Amino acid sequence: MPMLEPSSRPRARAGNASRGERRPTDRHAYRRSVRIAASVVAAMLVVFAAPARGALPRVASINLCTDQLVLRLADPSQIVTLSWLSADPEESLLADEAARYPLNYGTAEELLRYDPDVVVAGAFTGAYTRSLLRSLGYTVVDVMPELTVDDIESNLRVVARAIGRAERGEALIAEMRERIRHLERTKPAEPVAAVVVRPGGFTADAGSLAHTLMTLAGLRNVPAEQGLDRWGSLSVETLLRTPAELLIVTPYRTDEPSLANAVLAHPALRAVATRKTAIEIPGAYFGCGLPDSLDAVEIMRRANERLGAANGDAL
Amino acid sequence: MIADRKLAAATAESQPLLDRRWIDPPFARPFVVLIPLVAIAALASIWVGRTSSGPAFGLGDAALARTILLEIRVPRTLLALLVGGTLGLCGAALQGLLRNPLAEPGLLGASSGAALGAVIVFYFGIAAADSLLLPLGGVAGSIGALALLYALAGRRAALVTIVLAGIAINALAAALTSLALNFAPSPYAALEILFWMLGSLADRSLTHVGLALPLMIPGWLLIVAAARGLDALTLGEEAAATLGYAPARTQWLVVGGTALAVGAAVAVSGVIGFVGLVVPHLLRPWTGHHPSRLLAPSFLAGAALTLAADIAIRLMPPGPELKLGVVTALIGAPFFLHLILRRSGELAS
Repeated sequence: MPMLEPSSRPRARAGNASRGERRPTDRHAYRRSVRIAASVVAAMLVVFAAPARGALPRVASINLCTDQLVLRLADPSQIVTLSWLSADPEESLLADEAARYPLNYGTAEELLRYDPDVVVAGAFTGAYTRSLLRSLGYTVVDVMPELTVDDIESNLRVVARAIGRAERGEALIAEMRERIRHLERTKPAEPVAAVVVRPGGFTADAGSLAHTLMTLAGLRNVPAEQGLDRWGSLSVETLLRTPAELLIVTPYRTDEPSLANAVLAHPALRAVATRKTAIEIPGAYFGCGLPDSLDAVEIMRRANERLGAANGDAL
Repeated sequence: MIADRKLAAATAESQPLLDRRWIDPPFARPFVVLIPLVAIAALASIWVGRTSSGPAFGLGDAALARTILLEIRVPRTLLALLVGGTLGLCGAALQGLLRNPLAEPGLLGASSGAALGAVIVFYFGIAAADSLLLPLGGVAGSIGALALLYALAGRRAALVTIVLAGIAINALAAALTSLALNFAPSPYAALEILFWMLGSLADRSLTHVGLALPLMIPGWLLIVAAARGLDALTLGEEAAATLGYAPARTQWLVVGGTALAVGAAVAVSGVIGFVGLVVPHLLRPWTGHHPSRLLAPSFLAGAALTLAADIAIRLMPPGPELKLGVVTALIGAPFFLHLILRRSGELAS
């Protein structure tokens, strides 16, 4: 691979350091190793690729989740471009903020024009684009999808360090921890059984971000208790039989016809929804893990308290 | 098999092997059109970009313009040319070998094997580390598919056996690919796999050219070595054997060449359909029914079609890029239909 600027080689190497260890048998060990590698990369970036003192690195993001992390972490002046999905209110929690910035479609040629110092990308998006940018000497930070609170914290930390905003990252993490402590303290004694119904009959398995958020809210995730794993799906019939009292429906592009949404409109399901309590939480909350994810927890917590109180009255 | 023989007989009747019409100037005619066409398409492909076009690429910055030209546009153009050419060439060779106009490069399982190899790399999350592992997985998959084909069919296998074994391998690889999708570590990985399988040349680098070319060139050479044997096969297997062209040798030259070249192509670009099927059909009226004369023009026309599709992708209004396999089919299908309608009209009259 011909290098254009010899001086940029160390940066490219730093960006590549997360190559190497790959998926051992234990998924969590793998994720941990990626996280550690990412932290090491980030630390190296701070040492080797720190831009001129005082000036913050120019940041481009090419993934919906990293867009939102960057929006929460970066100084507005340092964001040069975000991905097109981040300005879509169906996908993104921060669509209004994102719409203020130039949007990209994640191709190398576009990104070169913005000439960012750091490109933040999802570990599953644009494999070719990421490696091309690395070979051209750009610093590329890969971020795994967030499934737990720990994931959110470590991604916040990794991105914050990479874009020279480590303090902001720590502040957001501290804020999140405070909110979580409050949620833990006020956890209702009686956990309400709940089930997430996503378009297509998908629900939330025990390893998902939605499960993490439900647990924080003090809800019992029924499908996870029943052993559904990996983006498990429920038939309408299973849903009818579910012992869950609370249905968490996640509307997503409800105006656009799709088979997936037809499941949500199933008459039987609507009949269940009238007998049980149903709340709506926009799909974007379950897509990316952010400090804002705790807002969804608070919505679920309120439903939990309402139902718990009603149960108490009935007794 | 019987239908094949009939077809071959009919072909031999209507186009005698030594008809002078196919020996003299018409033989050169496709090249007069195709070589300039490929050259123009290649230049246009370098010229046209997703965000802006032209020599300076809308930039004052010469260094940046050079990077875009040399590191993004040129590799993309080269790969479109090589991948498209490979698909056209292999499609023509297979249609010649099987004496069946429905043959296409994916038939023998090489491309689905390559796709499976790449998808496995995706599945285990290795692609997140290094995009080069993706094409390497593809190459391994295609070689694996070829080895399996050879093991199943045996060295002296009849053509039918090879085709059936190829279809079985195709089905197996497709099933395993779907299985990998089912068990994908996350919905994002599944999406990335799906998109990859639709074919794309976006953001490939010269490294990918360097990876594919060393496998493509021997593949092409094997097919070229089979050219005379393919011509002889149009007379039927027994006739070819008496002419000194052992059908088994021709078979394995074409099968091996296709597996190598198409495997390498799929490994770097994903699955790009239709080019290998439609291109030989487009050219056959020009070259007559000599498979050997179809080979080089098919390479050029495959390259031109793929370049054109890739240019079309970049001329679309802003948005996420369309996938190359989608566009080649969109461009190719109407051509193909037109051809079929015209031919059925000829047969009726």
